[in-house]
Amino acid sequence: MKRATVAGFVLVVAALALIPPFASGYVRSLLYITVLDVALAYAWNVISGYAGYLSFGQVTFFGLGAYTTALVVIHGHVAWWEGALLGGALSALLAVPLGYLMLRLRGAYFALGMLGLAQTFQVIANASGFSGGGSGLFLPPGSNTLAVYYWTLAIAVLTFVATVFIDRSAFGLRLQALREDEQVASTLGVDVTTAKVMAFVISAIVPGLLGGGYAWYLTYIEPVSAFATRFDLQAVAMTILGGIGTVWGPLIGGVLMSQVSETLAAQFPQTYLMIFGGLVVVLLLFLPRGIVPAVSAALARRRARA
Amino acid sequence: MHPVLIGQLTVDGLLLGGIYALSALGLNVIFGVMRIVNLAHGEFVIGAALFAAVLFERWHINPFIVLPFAFAAAFGGGALIQRFLLRRLPEDLAAAETTSLLLTFGISYFLVGAGLAIFSGNFRSVPFLTGAWALGAISIAQTRFVAFVTSSILALLLALLLRYTALGRSLRATSQSIEGALACGVDVERVRTFAFALGTGIAAASGCLLSLIFTVNPETGANVTLASFAVIALGGLGDYVGTLVGAAIIGLAISFTGYYASAQVAQAAPYVLFILVLLLRPSGLLGRRAA
Repeated sequence: MKRATVAGFVLVVAALALIPPFASGYVRSLLYITVLDVALAYAWNVISGYAGYLSFGQVTFFGLGAYTTALVVIHGHVAWWEGALLGGALSALLAVPLGYLMLRLRGAYFALGMLGLAQTFQVIANASGFSGGGSGLFLPPGSNTLAVYYWTLAIAVLTFVATVFIDRSAFGLRLQALREDEQVASTLGVDVTTAKVMAFVISAIVPGLLGGGYAWYLTYIEPVSAFATRFDLQAVAMTILGGIGTVWGPLIGGVLMSQVSETLAAQFPQTYLMIFGGLVVVLLLFLPRGIVPAVSAALARRRARA
Repeated sequence: MHPVLIGQLTVDGLLLGGIYALSALGLNVIFGVMRIVNLAHGEFVIGAALFAAVLFERWHINPFIVLPFAFAAAFGGGALIQRFLLRRLPEDLAAAETTSLLLTFGISYFLVGAGLAIFSGNFRSVPFLTGAWALGAISIAQTRFVAFVTSSILALLLALLLRYTALGRSLRATSQSIEGALACGVDVERVRTFAFALGTGIAAASGCLLSLIFTVNPETGANVTLASFAVIALGGLGDYVGTLVGAAIIGLAISFTGYYASAQVAQAAPYVLFILVLLLRPSGLLGRRAA
């Protein structure tokens, strides 16, 4: 990566870190949602973009993180970030056996299997007493939204850095190889199972860590919002807009789209789903590879002409 | 466990399975011909169910009169989706599967949003034929029975269409081999459009029947997609007889868990079965083992 790019990135992160204490509540919540969306999009991009296993159920881990944090904060009297760390650890622990099982499925089977998993977790949270059932859980007051913001920003930066490394590493190449043709990759000596389970675990830890912050931020969680497949729809739409399976795609798509979603979600909750769903369709038809590959192709053409 | 209770739950479950069978057959027709799983399937089912419910609420229009119109409207809608959206996707097969999943995922959320805008998030159903017949100690809900019979008739019509008409033959030929069908002069593009339209039309028809039994709102579509997919995963993709067996199993699972646990837990029963079957027998309960 060029030195100028790195410097630009550091500047943007510094700005994101310095602005919120002086910003209004609205700007602060907008920035929180933006970094949250970007981090979730990066997480989704690892399993679905690089490894090519479309998951519509990564929100399972987000909800798991949210509920873990809420429960240990309420009953264990620990700090929210300890709960969020625990949520991330549990997500990773769950993702290992789950990955070995679910990644035997391919294509639509995996996609629907993950969607069903998220729904099943939602049903469990709804039906169990310890999770407060359908009425949800209230966290103790004293939520510090600024701390949650920095937590989320740090995770977003980490997911970005991780993606840079994955993109350049042999591990990333293995993932892309199995995405293009799993059998060929396996024949060429790639341990496809280990590679894709690792990708799945990475894609699970991130939402697991973020869910705890989200619960503390809202101070209230209930099954439908904690396990909302809407989060996956957003990650899908943002990553496709920016460029699926690219380093910069989730960042660009996430930043652009979360501004739209924040405005829409507050004012027109239905139109919001329509626009996100419609946007996925329009993008697939007219910009199927996203902004990043389109822009870099245009730049390459200009350079060739010069 | 009391034998009458078992009998009652079995009858309820099988009748329910009949309706899921119809919805799953629609999904299976599309998959068989196009190798695409339509993630917006449940939204077509629920959309028709909501239309039927509103028409009954406002003007007391019989849902069985709505059914052919819902079928025709969804048939047209499906043809348009295939003609203007799915057909433009890349030819390359592996990329086409990924893109078609993403595309139908987008369509499903578009329809959920449209449904919320049109119908609001309220749960609705059609309070039509609320009585029951007694068969010995077992009572048979009239709605479930009539919906089951209608669903069976439609499934039979579909089977006849596939078996005995020229269009049905081209459809089956395309399912078996696209190159083979092309070589025999089948207009594969037209068959695909017909298959997708037929699948969404069947979805809408099953939605009109579902509205008699369940209360639904625009956000329940994903449950129907999953249950229908669970049915064909149990029976084997592209296997029409297997679909009926799968539907019976799903119907029974929902009916029994609904009684012994709760209606909420019953919603999760199809997925749990679905995941178990996929992991243990990936080609379906009846299916031959895939290579």
